[in-house]
Amino acid sequence: MARRYDSRTTIFSPEGRLYQIEYAMEAISHAGTVLGVLAKDGIVLAAEKKVTGKLLDLSGAKEGGYGGSGEKIFLLNSNVVAGVAGITADANSLVNYAREAAQRHLYMYNEDIPVEMLAQRLCDLKQGYTQYGGLRPFGVSLLYAGYDPHYNFQLYHSDPSGNYSGWKATCIGANSGTAQSLLKQEYKEEISIEDAISLVLRVMSKTMDSTTLGSEKLEFATLTLDAEQRPKAKIYRPAEIDALLRKHDLAKKDEDAEMKS
Amino acid sequence: METAFGITGKGYVLIASDTTAVHSIVKVKTDVDKIKELSPFLLMATSGEPGDTVQFAEYIERNIRLYHIRNNFPLRPPSAASWIRRSLADSLRSRKPYSVNLLLGGYDVSTYKPHLYWMDYLGTLAEVPFAAHGYGSYFTLSLLDKYHDPEATVEEGLATLKRCIDEVSKRLVVSPDRFKVKIVDKDGVREIEV
Amino acid sequence: MSIMQYNGGSVIAMVGKDCVAIASDLRLGVQSLSITSDFEKVFPVTDRLFIGLPGLATDVTTLREQFRYRVNMYTIKEEREIEPQTFAQLVSSTLYERRFGPYFIEPVIAGMQKTPAGGYAPFIAATDLIGCLNFAKDFVVAGTASEKLFGVAEGLWEPDMEAEDLFETISQTLLNAVDRDAFSGWGAVVHLITKDQVITRKLKGRMD
Repeated sequence: MARRYDSRTTIFSPEGRLYQIEYAMEAISHAGTVLGVLAKDGIVLAAEKKVTGKLLDLSGAKEGGYGGSGEKIFLLNSNVVAGVAGITADANSLVNYAREAAQRHLYMYNEDIPVEMLAQRLCDLKQGYTQYGGLRPFGVSLLYAGYDPHYNFQLYHSDPSGNYSGWKATCIGANSGTAQSLLKQEYKEEISIEDAISLVLRVMSKTMDSTTLGSEKLEFATLTLDAEQRPKAKIYRPAEIDALLRKHDLAKKDEDAEMKS
Repeated sequence: METAFGITGKGYVLIASDTTAVHSIVKVKTDVDKIKELSPFLLMATSGEPGDTVQFAEYIERNIRLYHIRNNFPLRPPSAASWIRRSLADSLRSRKPYSVNLLLGGYDVSTYKPHLYWMDYLGTLAEVPFAAHGYGSYFTLSLLDKYHDPEATVEEGLATLKRCIDEVSKRLVVSPDRFKVKIVDKDGVREIEV
Repeated sequence: MSIMQYNGGSVIAMVGKDCVAIASDLRLGVQSLSITSDFEKVFPVTDRLFIGLPGLATDVTTLREQFRYRVNMYTIKEEREIEPQTFAQLVSSTLYERRFGPYFIEPVIAGMQKTPAGGYAPFIAATDLIGCLNFAKDFVVAGTASEKLFGVAEGLWEPDMEAEDLFETISQTLLNAVDRDAFSGWGAVVHLITKDQVITRKLKGRMD
């Protein structure tokens, strides 16, 4: 039945559904988990990497760039970091679009783009692909962690249909249901950034397939304010992630590494 | 002759402008409002070429309003100033540039600070503690150098403003007979009788 | 009166030993009427690169915003920061794009350039208003006080100055030159750039 109505995105099925969008969302539910928690003095993002292996060249992640391996967490603008879940190729194109949109806003108004406006820009694009031209939609969900003077710290989620919504804590990708119910239980109002970091790591360690966490499977970022009250995004480098995991006692034990080798 | 000035104080900006519309050597109107309320916390005084001022001010007013409607929050004063400046700078290198000088006064509700911007038809933008346009500037800037106080209360600010108006009335050859004064502070924009 | 003198303002950059400095006055005027004494004309481009934009004030702001946009897009696409030499070419081509309706600005560029050996070397350059590059080994000047700046700098500059000596030399050069110029002055700002830090100092000047 579905086959007659899902060849083009613009076509509704008789039940009023847009199958291509539902398939896109299905693709995302198999992607690496991305988790975000809003604290009163910052935001935390963490993401599970799926593409791993000892032959993968990660030298780029250790130095240069904005930090991170460029698979899951990206700096969109000086005041926004985003985690992506879904088709990586689509995500890269969206990230480029977002960065350009943010720079255009800076050029026009001499201020960092407000977070919700940036989410809206991407959603306008994503929505367009669910309606026009017989193209497929973007197979990407994003979590935006950002700061602007209008609403301070904000966390948004957008999906392939072009819908977006604001959250205190949320999760996308594989096992997002489990993670969300864990977050619902453990999230407290007025949580501090330190507590948010440990909450995120705890939830990540429970939802990820592997029993122990390590920098080869995890990306991590925070957004806080610096001494001059300007937003400061920090995407952790592999060594910093391992240090953070050791601090929270979630690091891979040495014996595991020995066992593997 | 056309004169506009603005001063900042503790948590507010005052903007004053003459109210005359001139055609050739004739005063055709003496109750023109040359200070537009662009958004709940933003004032803009215009002077320059008569047709251009109204046309440009309305263009700015409507675009600032559109931004407010689309995003549920207005542009903050520094961003509004940058955007208006760009409009003038682009216009300067177009076929028919606008000849409009501006004073922009705003209150930033996210930092609780007043802002005053001086802008000319070239697109020159400067944030200043006090500013003036027109022939009145040659009289009032020196007065304000002496009497301006960034920590002044509204009453003190109005007294300084009154000095400027009196000086212009006394020394300028063709002095405007009425001034309209508006204020923007934490409670928004409103007119003040002087 | 030339449009280049309409708002006033001057910039100078100097080379020292493993350091460069760039400085400007702070005046913004309309012909002989001064409007403000905190109009900066020197802007950071990267952690070790600055650009000074003396000339028509509207174009100071326009070009500053345009260069920021282009450098940010470069940084995003290249995933590295722009080098002074590359940036100088960007400035030049941006200005030459407007060959027959130019921006009335004469940019001055100062920064530390990465060398193939892995170190950093001082870099300064200036262009005219249509982007003709001039790479100098000692100092470059621009703005309404440029003639006076040339004179004083010629007398005070010497090769291989240490950072603090360079700071003193560029400060004295600028302050004494702008005191003889009616369109520049009202305070100054100096950026001293070494390979791992930038020191920015505001100078008080004559307010007349």
